[in-house]
Amino acid sequence: MAKTSLSRLFASLSEHSIAKPSFTGSRSESVTRSAYNSVTRFVCSSAQETQLIREERSNEGDREAAKENLESVNKEEDEGEDGDHVNKETGEVGGPKGPEPTRYGDWERNGRCSDF
Amino acid sequence: MAASIAYVGGHLQYGVNFCMGQSYKQAIWVPSVTFNGCLQRELSWSCGVSKFLQIRKCNLFRSRTNENWKSFGTVITSAYLRDGSTKYFDFAVIGSGVAGLRYALEVAKYGSVAIITKAEPHESNTNYAQGGVSAVLCPSDSVESHMQDTIVAGAYLCDEESVKVVCTEGPDRIRELIAMGASFDHGDDGNLHLAREGGHSHHRIVHAADMTGREIERALLEAVVNDPNISVFKHHFAIDLLTSQDGSDTVCHGIDALNTETQEVVRFISKVTLLASGGAGHIYPSTTNPLVATGDGMAMAHRAQAVISNMEFVQFHPTALADEGLPIKPKKTRENSFLITEAVRGDGGILYNLSMERFMPLYDGRAELAPRDVVARSIDDQLKKRNEKYVLLDISHKPREKILSHFPNIANECLQHGLDITQQPIPVVPAAHYMCGGVRAGLQGETNVHGLYVAGEVACTGLHGANRLASNSLLEALVFARRAVQPSINYMKSSSLDLSASSLWTRPLVPKSLGSDVMHKILRITKEVRKELQSIMWKYVGIVRSTSRLQEAEQKIGKLEAKWETYLFEHGWQQTMVALEACEMRNLFCCAKLVVSSALARHESRGLHYMTDFPHLEESKRLPTVIFPSSHTTGTWSSRQLHQQPIVKSMV
Repeated sequence: MAKTSLSRLFASLSEHSIAKPSFTGSRSESVTRSAYNSVTRFVCSSAQETQLIREERSNEGDREAAKENLESVNKEEDEGEDGDHVNKETGEVGGPKGPEPTRYGDWERNGRCSDF
Repeated sequence: MAASIAYVGGHLQYGVNFCMGQSYKQAIWVPSVTFNGCLQRELSWSCGVSKFLQIRKCNLFRSRTNENWKSFGTVITSAYLRDGSTKYFDFAVIGSGVAGLRYALEVAKYGSVAIITKAEPHESNTNYAQGGVSAVLCPSDSVESHMQDTIVAGAYLCDEESVKVVCTEGPDRIRELIAMGASFDHGDDGNLHLAREGGHSHHRIVHAADMTGREIERALLEAVVNDPNISVFKHHFAIDLLTSQDGSDTVCHGIDALNTETQEVVRFISKVTLLASGGAGHIYPSTTNPLVATGDGMAMAHRAQAVISNMEFVQFHPTALADEGLPIKPKKTRENSFLITEAVRGDGGILYNLSMERFMPLYDGRAELAPRDVVARSIDDQLKKRNEKYVLLDISHKPREKILSHFPNIANECLQHGLDITQQPIPVVPAAHYMCGGVRAGLQGETNVHGLYVAGEVACTGLHGANRLASNSLLEALVFARRAVQPSINYMKSSSLDLSASSLWTRPLVPKSLGSDVMHKILRITKEVRKELQSIMWKYVGIVRSTSRLQEAEQKIGKLEAKWETYLFEHGWQQTMVALEACEMRNLFCCAKLVVSSALARHESRGLHYMTDFPHLEESKRLPTVIFPSSHTTGTWSSRQLHQQPIVKSMV
């Protein structure tokens, strides 16, 4: 798989040393760690944040957490600035198109399962 | 070789009392680990059985007539030195999946590294791991939560120390991968996108689209190729570890390998060896594993006197596409199975046997929506009871457009073989996917063989317990590969390469003298024997087991092995001869027997191991299954190292 575009924030800068944060459970801390190299940000959004972002972004209805969802609906997906696919539901960039791969607990793509 | 099998109590990582014939002794482990003094007392035994132990002597093989051990002084070596060569490295790594590569990159900072891999470097289970790797990377997630999920999935058989270490160190290992150039998906807010797989209480699966393993493998391989201290020997098949006895300790000095392209034997002498050779899916006829996964490492380690653990816990997926049920059979046997996702059942797919009877309601009130393990057992039960090869998964009653848009991969694959899933049911059969057991490893990846470390699927670290949690396998490989680094460096620094060591072991022999006709016959027979072994394993050592079926498996495998070996030796095969197919076959026999022995020893049902005559969990049996090799030198060809083990007199 070719390394893609600059919009991918995690470039191969092996000479950068990575600071080791400790997760204290406070969300605000996670974003403002100055020890991090600005190019390589590893902090994730919490599930709640993701939920908020989803709710703010789309008015498509109530898509529940992956495991509970039994209905999958085809949605139009946005294209990012440089062609990277952006999932409207989750905000994931460059991820798998179509229904959430883990919606039934295993990892599936187009019907084929690769992890469970 | 006879093997004793025992349940060993609790936090047994650091000291092992094992039975060598009548006496027992304690293996010496890497000193930095702690040892529970109480456990030591509880674990010791004489010929009687303590309440913590269940011992089953395994006399799987008829003893051969005694072969004389040649003392090493009389080994004739000159004839063998002519072909093949010897290479000297500080570190030898067997396997080029995530564990092997990750380890190599670290130790390469301290010495020379040889990576020995039997095919192309990217051919590994890692490459096929498309889902993701789990780690606590979210502030609202916690190590405790990941630990709990792991332990619950593992049916409480996990080693808690291992679980803690993996869940704690996982996040750092992911960060390092990213620093090495692995690209994982992120959200458009710039944060890592984390998915949530079954069994996980939080979103914590890091992934690269749907090819995480491949992406990790790519990033690591690129770094390896650019590292001047690392030499990759591809198409080098590892035959046996080179070991010696130093008093009561077994020491590993390297590995013999066969260059399968040039048909030359290469001997690697190394101060430290890491086994990272992956799984053993091909002991079964239907598996998701690539062809290279023939249990080579587990077999070599067992032959080298390493302790093996928990081999009964084989993870199957219930619904792989069954080629036998396709109208147009694939032209050549599919190398690794096509798994059909839970989503098909979740979206309303119904399971039928070949008489078109819907059977799931007989087993569980949730029918097709029952947990995967229940579905797997039900399908297995139907197949064994009815002596059939596959069942049917029918989604054709759903709207055509939905089927095609949700499951285009399945639709395409089936259509290519003459089946329209919008009209007809899909033939499915369970497939072996992952080995939770393997070579017993301490918290630093150390084994009871000095200088031998393990990481990845070949190892049994105690993380998975009786059942692996999704996406934990790549994580385990990363963490333990990293943990083995410092002890390896320490060990390496305190040892020296004896340049004359190479002649201590008889060199394997390429069977040129047999001629192509005989080789052709041997290869053909070996191919049939492999299929037969796989068939026995599936029929008698599948998902639903029983003592009588396992005993039958033992008998049949023993007979099959004897038949195969007799054929080989009758046709001029010699003890030290090697060929890829024959060596793989002996490894498959070895692993199959380890699985059967372990399964027979566990008199309860837990996690992946289900016994109809012991259908319940037994708290008193919440202990790992451990196989200790004995010091007997008799046994089958699959259970002995090709060379001999010299007694160390004055090894440097």
